Amino acid sequence: MATILDIAGYNLDYATPTGFTRALDAVTLSIGGGEVLGLVGESGSGKTSLAWAIMRYLPQSAREAGGIRLRDKDLIAASPAEIGAIRGRRIGMVFQDPSTSLNPTLPLGEQLAEVLERHRGLSRKQAWAEGEAMLARVGLKLPAQMMRRYPHEASGGEKQRVVIATAFACQPECIIFDEPTTALDVITACQILDLFAELQAETGVASLYISHDLALVSRVATRVAVIHRGRIVEQGAVAQVFAAPSDAYTQKLLAAVPRPDHRLVETTPDPAAKPLVEVEKLSVHYGRKPFLAKLLGREGTRFTGNREVSLAVQPGEILGIVGESGSGKSTLAKALTGLNPFEGGLRFDGRPIAGIGDMDRAYRRDVQIIFQHPDSSLNPRQRIREILSRPLALYGKPGQGRGAEAIGDLLEQVRLPRSYAERYPHQLSGGEKQRVAIARAFASQPRLVICDEITSALDVSVQASVIELLVDLQRRHGTAYLFITHDLNLVRQIAHRIAVMYRGDLVELVDVAALPAGASHAYTRSLLDAVPAPASPSA
Amino acid sequence: MSPAYVLKRIALICYTLFVVSLIVFAITQILPADAAVMLLGENATQEALAAVRERLGLDAPLWQQYLHWLGGVVQGDFGTSMRTGQPVGPALFEALGRSLLLALFSILLMLALALPLGIVAAIRRGRIADLVVGVISYIGVSLPEFVTATLLVLVLADWLQWLPATGYVPLTENFGRGLLHLVLPVLTVSLILIAHVSRMVRSELVDVLHTDYIRAARLKGLSNRTVLFKHGLRNALLPTITIVALDIGYLLGGVIVVEEIFALPGIGRQLIVAIQSRDLPSVQAGALIMATTYAIANFLADIAYAWLDRRIQYD
Repeated sequence: MATILDIAGYNLDYATPTGFTRALDAVTLSIGGGEVLGLVGESGSGKTSLAWAIMRYLPQSAREAGGIRLRDKDLIAASPAEIGAIRGRRIGMVFQDPSTSLNPTLPLGEQLAEVLERHRGLSRKQAWAEGEAMLARVGLKLPAQMMRRYPHEASGGEKQRVVIATAFACQPECIIFDEPTTALDVITACQILDLFAELQAETGVASLYISHDLALVSRVATRVAVIHRGRIVEQGAVAQVFAAPSDAYTQKLLAAVPRPDHRLVETTPDPAAKPLVEVEKLSVHYGRKPFLAKLLGREGTRFTGNREVSLAVQPGEILGIVGESGSGKSTLAKALTGLNPFEGGLRFDGRPIAGIGDMDRAYRRDVQIIFQHPDSSLNPRQRIREILSRPLALYGKPGQGRGAEAIGDLLEQVRLPRSYAERYPHQLSGGEKQRVAIARAFASQPRLVICDEITSALDVSVQASVIELLVDLQRRHGTAYLFITHDLNLVRQIAHRIAVMYRGDLVELVDVAALPAGASHAYTRSLLDAVPAPASPSA
Repeated sequence: MSPAYVLKRIALICYTLFVVSLIVFAITQILPADAAVMLLGENATQEALAAVRERLGLDAPLWQQYLHWLGGVVQGDFGTSMRTGQPVGPALFEALGRSLLLALFSILLMLALALPLGIVAAIRRGRIADLVVGVISYIGVSLPEFVTATLLVLVLADWLQWLPATGYVPLTENFGRGLLHLVLPVLTVSLILIAHVSRMVRSELVDVLHTDYIRAARLKGLSNRTVLFKHGLRNALLPTITIVALDIGYLLGGVIVVEEIFALPGIGRQLIVAIQSRDLPSVQAGALIMATTYAIANFLADIAYAWLDRRIQYD
């Protein structure tokens, strides 16, 4: 097998006002034709820097040493003109989020055809004909139509297929896949992976597959390299690295991967207890009638976020809610916290809540929410102390302290040092910020906490510790959780029951214990099938 | 962009203009001016005033006066000037023509300079070229028109004697001299426009050049030129169009100071004269005409916007 891409002893530093920061340290990798090398690492590990280095897309401040070669071509020494001829022609790239990597004001076909015009010297007409053939090849049903569509007129999966078609358009020798399925829904991601495997086998291209998802890499790659703080800590055949990781970091990473068979929660809610939350035929509609439609007496189009959802949560129960984006998970969370107006029945602790007006202070104390991005849910201009003092002042119980003591206790509860009270959010890491958000939610000693994708912005090892914290808090306080996530493996570890949502409907409410035996609804089954089996060191 | 959308926008413009006509009519009614007194002078007899009021329909109820006026307006009859006794329409449209000429040349000069300046500043961000463009646009934005106009007159007309300082010669009368007379007002006005627009183009383009799709375009091996003009500029121009549309509104009526300094009898100047002499029909017509041009400029901007960015969905 001929080596296509060869990286040897490659160092990358970025110049900063305080000196150089090392981004990549003595990276040595090679990828042969037809091979898929999975590059696994957490955020900030340098995996994306490596992709930019290969693509020769580095900022002015970059200082490099070592070699990057594409066959016999030294990429580091190549002139800008040579690089322009190599990019898109000999090395292709597939980006993470097709909705941002495609130009919103140009038709999809144009963005594909321009590569063919640039590198293969085709005329505009030939390029469009060839582009149409490419789109058919990546499995798009109506290629001619898709060529003329604009990005906003195509779904995420369709757009990613166009990006993939563009990357493969000039039959490159090497393609870099930078987390190509991270921005997609589980089922769409699964289909994209199938397409990847198919094209990979067909073209024999050398692929560098960058991902933070170990399970996914174990599925697509032939070899895997684990990168940590700019260093390749381990490299080898997939089966070998996952079965017997030799490096401590790899072991830690593998241990942090959620495994559905490894339950983290031992408690079971009392099925006979009075339900804490009862949701009955709750619907949420978005959009209001446009002024003109109202004037003309026309029916305005309303978008349904939730359609007659009914469920109940027992005290101390963890109810997982899964579904793809747009399925109505967050809509339900917002309805329960009064951020969305809703129709239908809601009872909390037996008390009917007819609308936002009934969500008084007592209700808000009992029902708290934690959001996905702590960066946008924590005020960047407030110290942690100020952030945590608000719920204490608003909902604090008579016996509960409000001063520095109480804030320190809150921080300690989420395993952060008391001294963090004086810090600002930007001085904390992502996981620490999410802990502050958790502390804020628990300040009022709530009985229901809604967790809306709270770990999806976090790295897998950080996610594991946040989940452990949540489980611990649940055990100590008996709090019920509505745990919203798209990660089926994760939710199977902690939830008692799982609600599956699809396009605004609650399609199935299933006991986690009963899940492996077989979900009854077809959508739930396809969801389960689409989730890559986690790589297991023991298996 | 559907024809239905265009029709809907046109209907909306008509509605806007209807509301404007109401406001204009109402405001001129509040003004402390009695048209009959204005016509006949302070010493007119009560009988003579009554006769004039009857002749002009001023004794009729307000809504009848409004309908009468509006009826005339939609037929192109804006009434008779109280100052000159001539029909208001032709004089105003002539002035509008002169203002449009100033606007047209200013916008052409602005497009010719502001786009390249903004683009250069964006590409060479943080370098000398960026700094120079930045300083020029700060000067353009911060100096009032009368200062720049005076400076230009001082240098180009007084010291160098290249250009006539003031006055207006119709292009149909003497094309060359007419153009020469336009140079100074056009320079004054376009300096402000260039300052606005080049800053806008620069900051939008800087943002666009940092987007993922620009990076994707570069990593497809496209040339710098293709990346910049095909992928970058198109997106950067979108907000610029809105600014230009607002500037057109400014050019037609907002440049009274410039028209005054250069003795250019444009619509702004005409309106000032009308207000000073309490010539109500002229004031009404002038305000309505300016509102119309404003509405049309914004309409065209929206159409251009929709054409450039297909995400804008019109139902």
